[in-house]
Amino acid sequence: MNASHIEQEAAEWLMRREEPDWSPDDQNALHSWLERSLAHKAAYWRLVHGWQQADRIASLGLDPATEPPSPRSKVSWLPVAAAASIAGALLVGNLELSRRVPIAAAMPVHFSTPVGGRRTIPLLDGSKVELNTATVVRTAVSDNRREIWLDQGEAYFEVAHLNGRPFIVHAADRTVTVLGTKFSVRREGDKVTVAVIEGRVRIDDASKPDDVPTAIITAGDVAIAEGASTLLSAKSEQGVVATLAWRDGILNFDHTSLGDAAAEFNRYNGKQIVIGDSETREIRVGGTFQASNVDAFVRLLHEAYGLHIAAKANQVTLSS
Amino acid sequence: MDRTELGAEPAAPMIDDAALNAWFCGQVLPLEPALTSFIRSNWRIAEDVLELRQDIYERLLAGVRLELPTNTKSFVFTVARNHLINQAVRARIVSFELVADLESDAQVTDLCATERHLDARDQLRRARDGLESLPPRCREVVRLRKVEGLTTKEAAERLGVGVDTIERQLTMGMRALVDFMLGGSGKIVRPRFAGKRQARL
Repeated sequence: MNASHIEQEAAEWLMRREEPDWSPDDQNALHSWLERSLAHKAAYWRLVHGWQQADRIASLGLDPATEPPSPRSKVSWLPVAAAASIAGALLVGNLELSRRVPIAAAMPVHFSTPVGGRRTIPLLDGSKVELNTATVVRTAVSDNRREIWLDQGEAYFEVAHLNGRPFIVHAADRTVTVLGTKFSVRREGDKVTVAVIEGRVRIDDASKPDDVPTAIITAGDVAIAEGASTLLSAKSEQGVVATLAWRDGILNFDHTSLGDAAAEFNRYNGKQIVIGDSETREIRVGGTFQASNVDAFVRLLHEAYGLHIAAKANQVTLSS
Repeated sequence: MDRTELGAEPAAPMIDDAALNAWFCGQVLPLEPALTSFIRSNWRIAEDVLELRQDIYERLLAGVRLELPTNTKSFVFTVARNHLINQAVRARIVSFELVADLESDAQVTDLCATERHLDARDQLRRARDGLESLPPRCREVVRLRKVEGLTTKEAAERLGVGVDTIERQLTMGMRALVDFMLGGSGKIVRPRFAGKRQARL
């Protein structure tokens, strides 16, 4: 059963129960709905409890700090849908204006993170960039351009729609162009990996500007571009989510060789994992790990595979 | 249906609904932020978190029907852990870290460090922040309900829109505000099932 659907039903019950025309029949109907499943009870009780906790807002009354009294809200509630959407558009326009005021000339600005670091940068156009470990970007955002250079590392972008103005990410010899979407770009030397959560992304090969666009990818796609080739992996939303697990400080492996897994860990930590022999390097591992917890990973490898551990100051060597 | 059935209890000597409700609201719901982050950090698919939490709540209620646990916190996290392991096994997720991490109590204790009860002032501040974080229309409808005490019909008249619209905005706002009150992000979840579907039986 779908939790969101149950919660919605529970909210409808709660809303109706507060109405003056609530009748004994309604009460009976609610009762049998609740009796039908403990999931219903959990969802309903939770809402009632939380909703009650919010009762204190009533004490705010017409506190000027909460909400200016009606005129403005009336406007955005004009009965005609078209008018409402115009009001909405006006509101957006205002926000945009106020956002734009502080935008200075498009001086590229440097941002970076250390090993193990993670950081979100709000851009002046309303977009957001989240930098993963050991990442360097430069941004140039002004009224007529939105460009970012990913010089090193990996970043996740939430790009605000802005009147069709493109948002461009440069990584190695690839150019990634979007209008308003969510996606990530990772750069390892000349290899560029793009994963799309939402919307459409165009990837061009900047070294061959006259060619047709290299690739247009959409939500659920992961593209890996290197040199002349662009490899598109099978569509998988789960794959994209796994690619972005770093945003929660998590690493996801699925039949990943221990060599690759160790390299991933090493991106995030001062303490480096070294694999002693090629046989060990080929062991396949899967699972979900905390990027910062090298010790737990190593301990598990020891317990699960009986690998030998030799620890030095800032280095752990694993061997069979 | 006869009204007398209303309070009818099942035959077995069980914890009655009032006690169950009091336990759930008083002892389980305050753990919601910790439980949510416990699920999130042990489950790789973010979209599943709410679904899993709801399943866990259901299992908790089922598990205490005969007797309330003496230590709610450890009971909640034991049930949560078992549920995640079962789901992981069912989904054939190869993840020994999942299992190993779930075994360690340290993590649970850690997560509960952030748990705290809201006092009245916190509650007011929180309610206000939650209200302010709602989208404008939704906020206005919730405000009319909570602050001015209008019915959906009155709110519809006041704002010059249909009752359907008020109902949709109000249930959306309720869910988001409750999530916020219980320590969540208060993010709006748009009903996937269009307004046609009634909860009425």
